[in-house]
Formats: sequence, C-alpha cells, structure tokens
Amino acid sequence: MMASKDLLMMFGWINRSMKCWTVCILLVEAACFSRAAESVAQMVNNPWEHSIVTIEVSRKKYDYYQPWSRRTSQTQKTGLVLDDRQILTTADEMFDRTLIRLQKNGRGRWWLGELTWIDYHANLALVTTVDAEFWSDLKPVTLKGEMPSENNLQIVRWRNGNLENRHAEFNQFIVREGQLSSVSHVLLEADCDIQGAGWGEPVVANSHVIGIVNAQADRTCIAIPASFINDILEAKKSGKFHGLGYFHFYWQPAANPASLARLKLAGDPRGVIVIQVPDRPDGGEQVLKTQDLILQIDGFDIDIQGDYEDPEYGHLMLENLSTRSKWAGDEVKMKIWRDGKPIDITYRLPKYDYSTSLVPMATYDREPEYLMIGGLVFQPLSDSYLQSWGNDWKHRAPFRLTYYRTESPDKDRPALVLLSQVLPDPYNIGYQDQRCLVVDRVNGQRVSRLPDLRAALDKPVNGFHVIEFIRSDSLRKMVLLAGDPQREATTRVLKRYGINEPLHFAPETEK
Amino acid sequence: MRLPFLQAVLQKSLLVLVGLFWLEVCQGAAPERSVVQIITFEQQPVWDAPWRFEAVRRMGGSGFVIKGRRVMTNAHVVSWGRQIIVRRYQDPRPYEAEVEYVGHDCDLAVLTVQDSRFFDNLEPLELGELPKVRSAVVTYGYPAGGEEISYTRGVVSRIELETYAHIGNRRLLSVQTDAAINPGNSGGPVIQDDRVVGVAFQGIPGLENAGFFIPPPVIQHFLKDIEDKHYDGFPNAGLRVTELQNPAYRSLLQLPDDSIGARIDGILPVPSTEKVLKFDDVLLRVGPYPVADDGTILYEGNRVSAALAFQLAQNGECVPLQIWRDRRQQEVSLPVYRYDGDHAGGYQYDILPRYFVYGGLVFTPLSLDYMRALGRGARETDTADFSYELYYRRYENIASARTEPIVLASVLPDAVNANLSVRGRTLVDQINGIRIDKLEDVVRAFDSCTNAQDLIQFVQHQGFDCLARTEVAKANEGILKTYGIASDRRL
Repeated sequence: MMASKDLLMMFGWINRSMKCWTVCILLVEAACFSRAAESVAQMVNNPWEHSIVTIEVSRKKYDYYQPWSRRTSQTQKTGLVLDDRQILTTADEMFDRTLIRLQKNGRGRWWLGELTWIDYHANLALVTTVDAEFWSDLKPVTLKGEMPSENNLQIVRWRNGNLENRHAEFNQFIVREGQLSSVSHVLLEADCDIQGAGWGEPVVANSHVIGIVNAQADRTCIAIPASFINDILEAKKSGKFHGLGYFHFYWQPAANPASLARLKLAGDPRGVIVIQVPDRPDGGEQVLKTQDLILQIDGFDIDIQGDYEDPEYGHLMLENLSTRSKWAGDEVKMKIWRDGKPIDITYRLPKYDYSTSLVPMATYDREPEYLMIGGLVFQPLSDSYLQSWGNDWKHRAPFRLTYYRTESPDKDRPALVLLSQVLPDPYNIGYQDQRCLVVDRVNGQRVSRLPDLRAALDKPVNGFHVIEFIRSDSLRKMVLLAGDPQREATTRVLKRYGINEPLHFAPETEK
Repeated sequence: MRLPFLQAVLQKSLLVLVGLFWLEVCQGAAPERSVVQIITFEQQPVWDAPWRFEAVRRMGGSGFVIKGRRVMTNAHVVSWGRQIIVRRYQDPRPYEAEVEYVGHDCDLAVLTVQDSRFFDNLEPLELGELPKVRSAVVTYGYPAGGEEISYTRGVVSRIELETYAHIGNRRLLSVQTDAAINPGNSGGPVIQDDRVVGVAFQGIPGLENAGFFIPPPVIQHFLKDIEDKHYDGFPNAGLRVTELQNPAYRSLLQLPDDSIGARIDGILPVPSTEKVLKFDDVLLRVGPYPVADDGTILYEGNRVSAALAFQLAQNGECVPLQIWRDRRQQEVSLPVYRYDGDHAGGYQYDILPRYFVYGGLVFTPLSLDYMRALGRGARETDTADFSYELYYRRYENIASARTEPIVLASVLPDAVNANLSVRGRTLVDQINGIRIDKLEDVVRAFDSCTNAQDLIQFVQHQGFDCLARTEVAKANEGILKTYGIASDRRL
C-alpha cells in the first residue's frame, strides 16, 4: 500500500471514463467502425471464433444526488468460454445488473445469461446460461500463465459481427491497484491500436490466452494475467478463496544509506522501511512496527526499491506477494530487521473490503441509501456519492468531503453520514441552502451510519431534533421540531418532490 | 403611447447634455490635476526558493493627492516595489515616491514624495460620504490602453462586503459600479460631487460592467488607524455568525419570534472573544446596529453582513453588544483586535519569506503564496494536505494545529542528499524528535542533535529520511555556494 494510491486510482478512473465514451461511439458510429474492423482483421475460421462470446449487461444506474431516482444503462463486453460451461469476463459494469444476455458468433440470437460468480476486488466474473443449445458449437479454452518467447500478442473480440483481431506489443508486467479496488497485484501492459477495449477482451499468444483486458488508456491496454486468474479460479474450486488479501501497512524504499545506518542494518543495503501501520480492519494484532525493515517475504529477497524477483514475471513490487497465490486469511512469512537484529514474523493477510475505508470506494449491488426527514436528506459519504459531481469529481466535489478519503476510520467513526441537501419546505426554512455537512451527533448520540441516525431521531430532546455537524469551517448545529411537525413535513416533501419512500437502507445495513 | 416615447428621447438627450456639462464643470474643478500616475518596478520573491527573486516587472497604477502632502493608492499598486515613480497630470517629470503606510488587508497605501515640488499647485482631494446606490460616479485614472488620464462614468450598483483579492482572505465593505475599472485604474479616485467616494481597486474576470471601489468608511478607517504613525489593521472578532430563521431553533432558545438575532456558530481561537462570547449566543445588536435573523445589519440604507459592525471599530476598541444567552437579553462589551492567526492563508507582501537550508534541504513556512508557486503542476495529494493544513485544521483540531506549518520545499541536489526518498513539497512533522511548530524549531532540532544521523519525519504516509551529520557539515557551505544562496537562513 504505497503512497501512490491516489495516482493509480485516478488512472483507473480515466480508464473507466474512456470506456463510457467508447460505448457511445459504438452506438453512434457503428457502421463506420465496421468497415474499419473488416479492413483490419476479419478472419475466416479464426481459431477463437468458437471461444469468444459477446455479453450484454443491462444495469441500474443511480444518481446519488437524488438517491431515490433510477436510470438504466447497457454495456457490451467480451466473454471467454471456459470448461464447465462457464464464461469468464471482468466484473466491471456487472454490478446492479438487471439482465445479462449472451451472443455467439458476433451476431444473431441472444441467450439469457446468469451470473455464477463475481469478485469485484479481483475484477473477475463467471457467467453461464442454462440453454444447452448455446454451448453446442463453443469450444472451451485454457488459460496459460507462461509468457510467450516472441512478442506476438493479439487482442481479440467480436465487433459488429466480425472477429476483430488486433496485434499488440507487450510492454511489461506491473503491479498496481486493480480497476475496481485498491488491492495491488500483477497486471500485463501492452500497446495496441484497438479502440474502446477494457471489457474482458482476451489477450492471446501462440494459441493460448494469457490474460483479459480490463482497462485502456490511449494505446496502452492493461490486462489481468492468466496466472492470476487461474490461481483464483483454482482456489475457488477448492474452497480456499476467501477474497483478496493485502498488506495493510505503508512502506518506503530503503535507498538512503543514512536511514539504514540509523536503523543499524548490517551488511549491504536491502529491504524496505515500514513507515505507517494502521489498525487492522479485522481487529487483529499488527505484527509490524514503524521503522521495521522488511528484508524477505515468503523467501523472496526484497530490494531497496521494494521489488522482488518473481520466477514468472521478473522484477515486481512486493505488493504482489499479498496476492501471489495467497488470499485473505492466508499467512505470509516475513523476515524483518528490528532494533538492530533480524526477526521472523508471520503476517496474516486481512481481507480487502470497500467498507474498511472511511469513504468506501464502491457500493456495488446496493441501491443508494438515504434517510429523509422534513426535507433533510442524509446519505453515507462514499466515492459513489462524490462521483455525482461528474467526471472531474476529485476537483469539483467539496474539498473537505474528498479529503476524508485520505483519512482512516477508527472505532468511534468507522464511516460518515452527511446531510447531502435540504429539499425546501416551511419546516426547514432557514436551512435550505445547507448541504454537504458531515454529521457528528444527533440528539446527543454519535452518528456514523444511517441506522445510528434513525435510532437517534427516535429520541428527540424536549421535542426537538438537535443535529450537530463535525466541527469544520461550515455550519455546526441545526435544530428542528420533532414529532408531528416533522412527520407532516416528511409526508409533504415526499409528495411535492415525487419521492416514494422516506428512507432506503440496504439489507446489509439493516443487520 | 407616442408622448412617453418622445419624453424618453428628450430625457435621454438631456442626460447626455447634463453629463457633458457636468464633465466641463469637473474639468473646471480639475480633480484630475490631483490624480497621479504611478509606475512601480516590483520584484517578488520565489516562494519555493525563497532566496531568489522573480524578474523585475513594470506595473502601472493610479493615485491621488490627499491632505498632508501624501498620495493615496492601492496597496497592490506598490507592493514589492523596488522603485515607485509618480507623475503629475500632463507633466512628464518622474518623481520618486516611498510607501509611508500600507494596509494589505484593506488594499490601501499612502505614499510620500521627497521632492516637495511635486505638490506645487496640487489641491488635495476631499473625502466624501458613502455614495447612494444608483447614484452616478466618475472614475479617474491611468488604465492600460493609453498614456493619458482616463475618465469612466457609471452608477453605484450595490454595496456589500466583498473579498479583497489583494490579500485573499478578508471581506470588507466594497462598492460595485458599472463604470469601467481596468488594470491601471487601481488606486485612482472615484469622484462624486468633487469629492472622493472611493478608490478603484478590483474587478471580477468574466463579469462585464462590474468594477469595485473601496468606499469612504474603509478609507477613513485606514487614515484614522495611521494617525498614531502605525498601521494596525482591521479588527476581526473571530466569529462565525449564521442565520437564525428556523422557528424550532428560536423556540429552543426561547427567543422572541421578531426576526432579530443571528446565532454564533463558531469562534476562532481569539482569547478576547472567547472570554466574552459563547457558541450559541445570539447577536441582537452590534454597536448601534440591530442584527437581523439573516445575520445582516442595515448600514446607511444598505443591508450588509453584521461583520461590518465589528470592522468599523479600530484595533483594540470595544464594541458594545446586545446578546441573547440563557433565555434573556444581556449587554456585553467585546474588545476587538486584528487577527493574524490566518495570515498564511492569505497573500503576503513586502516581508521576504523565511527559510532555512540544511544539507540542501530547503525548509520554509507553508503559505498560500508557496502553494501558488507550485502552480498547476503540483500533485493533487500535495496540495490537498496543504489546503487542509492552511484552511481546516484550526477549525477541526486546534490541538494539533501548528503555529507555522513547515514544508520541505525542495531538495537541492547534492551527494549528501542524493538518496533521500522525499524530494520536497512535503509537510514536516518532527526533526530529531522535536515537533516542528515553526521555522525556528527546525534550526533548533538540527543544532541540538547528538546522533550520527538527523531524522526528519514527515506527516501522514510520507515517511521519514535521514542525513549523515558529519557529511552534511562538510557539504553545507558548498551547497550554498553551488546554488548561489548568500545565507543558509532567513528567520
């Protein structure tokens, strides 16, 4: 978990926005593009035409600024036929799905599909269909982790009825955060002239699939390598996959000899320095301390840049050792240097979960939660909410709200609830312009999640609701009438603003 | 239908004629003879390399003669001035001027001219009253686009508190006019009935027909302030006042439902204010001005923020207040002072930035000027931490706030620091175990270290770095010489 998190997250965001753009282009300029595709790579009896299918996903899309409203969107992705009548694709845009359809040969009939497994953190999903006819002429492929000796990669997909087959040039293996999570793992980077990729297109070499593309920025395609996928699918089959784990600490390179001298490291410069060890999300004991030097992980020597020599991929950043055939709950052996001597420790990988951040990065498969009383709309603070400021949300959303993303949760404040807006009504007069205020306490009770808020509202103080906001440069306190005036106002606002329900909590939240 | 149209045409013609005639009268009174052109050769420091200076720039502005053989202008016209030249109306001779007093918070300055001939036959302009909204005014000055004096006519559009862009974090009384106010007009007088009713000072990019001038109450406050030969500045009570219009809140406080009273929702760490006022006190009256429930007062026929009522007092004066506390009306007296706690959050002038260079590591206080120097190329994560430190920490966590947050601005490359992990633009937390609260702590921390290595710790996830002390001691002088730094410190 290096300090480069934000940079990489931004990179991921660019990719996603590009994908949306590409979908629009596809819809509008399909005819034009089909000619280009034909000219590039139409192949008769291409060996991949019976192994690659098109997946169409329809899903609900939410406007977090009006959390009660719904829209729909549709995305076409690429799937790869595996054994056991499973189709592999990325998890991206599979959330909040309402309908999945499958098409083979790039044209003709659509079959109803269904999701059999999904892991958003790993950005992988498996889809199938019960219709036997669909599988009749499809040929499963196997994923192969080895890299080809020659640079003859291709990226393949169905496009407007033709199999598009683009040459790609391998760049490097890199370790960076995934498209849908901040867990860092190995990825394959290749340059290709393909447009609008990043939707599960297989990267093939020498008749083998070596990865699937999950993002694209300019000509650079980022693919999830086959070995990473294979390891997860095999672990899943054997019941050992419990989600991705990660290293829950921050480190810095140990390139400065003066720092190593300060830490009394004997011998050649090596290892990396632990600089911050937050509380574990699972409440377990942190076995690392700040100013520990990590010299080895699972037997791999760590160099002063934080890299190790991976037998499969060459030099990779140590973060990959948290996902290299290791999953949440697994143990990782470390050799560290502490107080002038080496120590062996065992680090248990915590499970990555969006909710372990103070501001969750995603809220997939969950309708926007809110609670409205008398026109005051309360919502959890999440990246999904902040993204309602548009593509440039990191700059356009209120600074104080986005800055919470850099802060860590604690026992007293595991999450944040904000007053997102006030729908004007006589009940809330004087507060209509208030928005984006993070709640501290309501009626004297601390509020971190919407159920806390609901419970606090059940206990008004002398007929009033006293809402205190986190001390900042904005409003700190509001007082409203409780009881009948509040209920009447809520009813009035629901009717006037066309809102069906005064609240929506996800089932998980209700627990 | 026909008659009103004719009337309108006649009225319009009459207005133009009156206007021309009035202009002739003005020329007869010749206020422009007392309007001067100001040329400033300014040189600003480089905030992220504080021993260096930017190239000298020639800036143009305006001013006018006031009583006491002085020239009044804007602070921003003469800030960072290496040489200030003033020219009389239609007189090519340059006279050298000096800043006598400057108020960066109110963007005003008065200049003196050594050569007494400068004031020969110049009548000082008299200060008028706050002009009425919709009344006509004429600006005088030397804006860009020509060399001769320029006049522009307009009406007073509105009067309220505006952010003064020169300092960036102060809101004072300001008058908006549709008279054209362009670069070079700054510091020039705005005239009505032969009297100065304002000093032209700023516009808003993209907003057409909207210029702003500093009105007489602010000018008079500045002139009274310097009567004791020292400029203190406008007081700031350190209050955040919010409207109190919701009946529920008024009912909770048992406050009469009479549209009077605005609630104190926050108090800055100003000891004199914290002694007198509390969170949730309701301001009913400030001085002679009743405070409405939207937090405004009626001042000279204009509804403006109640903050103005505190700003009318001089530094150290007491402002009588009527407040609502504990369900009853109370009278208190609040001494108000200039507030410097947020000076780093505004633009700074005329005092060179402080710094300390050690082993090629350049330490300097975090400031808005420093952030501006980083430009658009700065990483989002850097500027976010800086913004939080400058603008939010003091509100949210006063215990952790520092007197003067220090940044490692840059690292001047040298063998002694070649392997550092951090290359600058990072907030410093501790050095050799000493919490860095201000720049002097940096010097003390390096001076007092007895270890073989200096340990520099940065905030958040930025980690730490070490320097070999014996190597630094050998390298320091050479680094300063290599990078042309005359002194390792400006404290």
